[in-house]
Amino acid sequence: MHPIIRLVNRNITISLNPGFLIWQIIFPLIYIFVAGFAYAPLINSVPLGARDLDYPAYLASGMIGFNIMNSTLVSGIIIWNDRRHGMFEQIMSGPFTRSHYILSNICTIGVIGLASATLIALVGYPVFFESVEFSLVTVPIIIFGAITGSILFGSLASIISTRLRSSEGFNVIINTVFLFFAFVSTAFYPAEGAPEPLRTAFYLNPLTYLVDVIRAGIFGGITEFVILEMLVLAGLAATLFVIASKLLTRLDF
Amino acid sequence: MSCIGASHLSKSYGSVRAVDDISLSVRPGQVFGFLGPNGAGKSTTIKMLTTLIPPSKGTLNILGIDAVADPLRVRHRIGVVLQQPSYEPTLSVEKSFDKYGMMWNVPKTERKKRTEQLISDFDLKHIRKKRNEDLSIGQRRRVQVAREFMHDMDLLFLDEPTVGLDPGARRKLLDYLKKKVETGLTIFYTTHILSEAEYLCDEIAIIDNGRIVTVDTPNALKNRFGNKKTIRIRLKEKRPDMQDMLSGISDCKIDFEGGTSITIHSEKSELVLLQVLKTLSNNSVEIEDLSAVPTNLEEIFLKVVREDAPDN
Ligand SMILES: Nc1ncnc2c1ncn2[C@@H]1O[C@H](COP(=O)(O)OP(=O)(O)O)[C@@H](O)[C@H]1O
Ligand SMILES: [Mg+2]
Repeated sequence: MHPIIRLVNRNITISLNPGFLIWQIIFPLIYIFVAGFAYAPLINSVPLGARDLDYPAYLASGMIGFNIMNSTLVSGIIIWNDRRHGMFEQIMSGPFTRSHYILSNICTIGVIGLASATLIALVGYPVFFESVEFSLVTVPIIIFGAITGSILFGSLASIISTRLRSSEGFNVIINTVFLFFAFVSTAFYPAEGAPEPLRTAFYLNPLTYLVDVIRAGIFGGITEFVILEMLVLAGLAATLFVIASKLLTRLDF
Repeated sequence: MSCIGASHLSKSYGSVRAVDDISLSVRPGQVFGFLGPNGAGKSTTIKMLTTLIPPSKGTLNILGIDAVADPLRVRHRIGVVLQQPSYEPTLSVEKSFDKYGMMWNVPKTERKKRTEQLISDFDLKHIRKKRNEDLSIGQRRRVQVAREFMHDMDLLFLDEPTVGLDPGARRKLLDYLKKKVETGLTIFYTTHILSEAEYLCDEIAIIDNGRIVTVDTPNALKNRFGNKKTIRIRLKEKRPDMQDMLSGISDCKIDFEGGTSITIHSEKSELVLLQVLKTLSNNSVEIEDLSAVPTNLEEIFLKVVREDAPDN
């Protein structure tokens, strides 16, 4: 078996613990079904491009992007734990190179991100199926989102985990950054309704781009703006990936 | 061919010279001890030898491979237990053995077999289902050392593996390693505990301040630095004439204690003892008890390191 596959196997084994599964499954379900339906009477419909969506459908589609982001936290946590528990050195003194290690992390978050997106898409499907506009590009766009989103947020989490030394610092920063990404984005509410400084802030956030792209894939409406958003996503993911790889390569023992 | 051939290795961290121009050669099938006080540069050396950090200077050949140019090929053939603990916190002991074997590409049936064997060899039965994060420090250390034997290797590096183990577990580990050496394994072993090095190693390098102070077999070290022995002889009855009797013997210092006991300090203890015994027997002195107090490596070690200290 190829060394990268062996490392991915190991990464997935250590990540799949009950805590992570609750975080990955229960948490988004609560959002979709509790928050989605609780807010539905208050929020009649949400404008999306030329059409109106009901709130549960809007939220469920947003949760796909949200969950991709959440799941890629794993990559940061793996690197962080490997350094803290001596496994980084152990692996690097074994039959692996740094490239194997870095690529295996990317593959791990790709697999987990994709699984996570699929899961939420399946679970959320009853909620938004009435509004879905299937086309040839729906599935490719969701996959594009899952992969660029995974690499983008995975690299970001990796960068944070290589820069920090203390556990408290790591937890505080990861949680703050991801809380900001989650709530200052279009995952939960549309930018159109938000007051001005917030509205601009939404577009300083890569999760907004990811969620917009996924919604466009599911509900139709791939405009020029969405294509621009796709380019921004891909560019940002590539840049952060290069930085994360550099930092990981330089990480000393 | 040597298993490890290091020549003029150095490693600096800023202005700190952690390892300073070290050369060493380790033969196949040998246990090579690397002995030195804390901060001497043992771990830094082991990290260079295991390809974790590149040397600032020098050349390094491991198992016939240029370790600086081709670290991955070296990594395939070595086992490494670093000083720092390494474990998968959320996996059980047995699961972590299996996953570790998987990472080394060991086939599944072989992994099962080895896991059982190691659990029995290292007395891990009662903790095999425990998660690694719930183990005590000593248990974790034992698990870490045991886990390394999940895969085959030609050369094993151990950086102070017995720290945190109780004396029983320590002895067991050393005996386990001895058994492995009999099957052809070569071991590079660092420690700051002399009795361990003496018990296990065929050759010992003493390192201090990043430099190798001396390299030799445990016995030769004792002969070179520690042949000064103390021998105690107790007599059956008081002999006031003893001092006169032994006054002709040279190369030694003899203390007479109340006419019933003598203590001999000598660099040539064996020779001196023979003369003493002959004289006593010629004068019909009966001996109640004779004991030798050998110099231990501890004293040699302190002596060597102290003589090497820059402010001396
Ligand atoms: N990563 C590092 N950065 C800076 N200094 C280091 C680093 N690693 C080791 N040192 C220094 O190098 C010296 C040797 O350390 P080490 O090899 O760990 O010694 P030992 O293992 O014999 O106790 C010490 O002075 C230590 O402080
Ligand atoms: Mg050390």
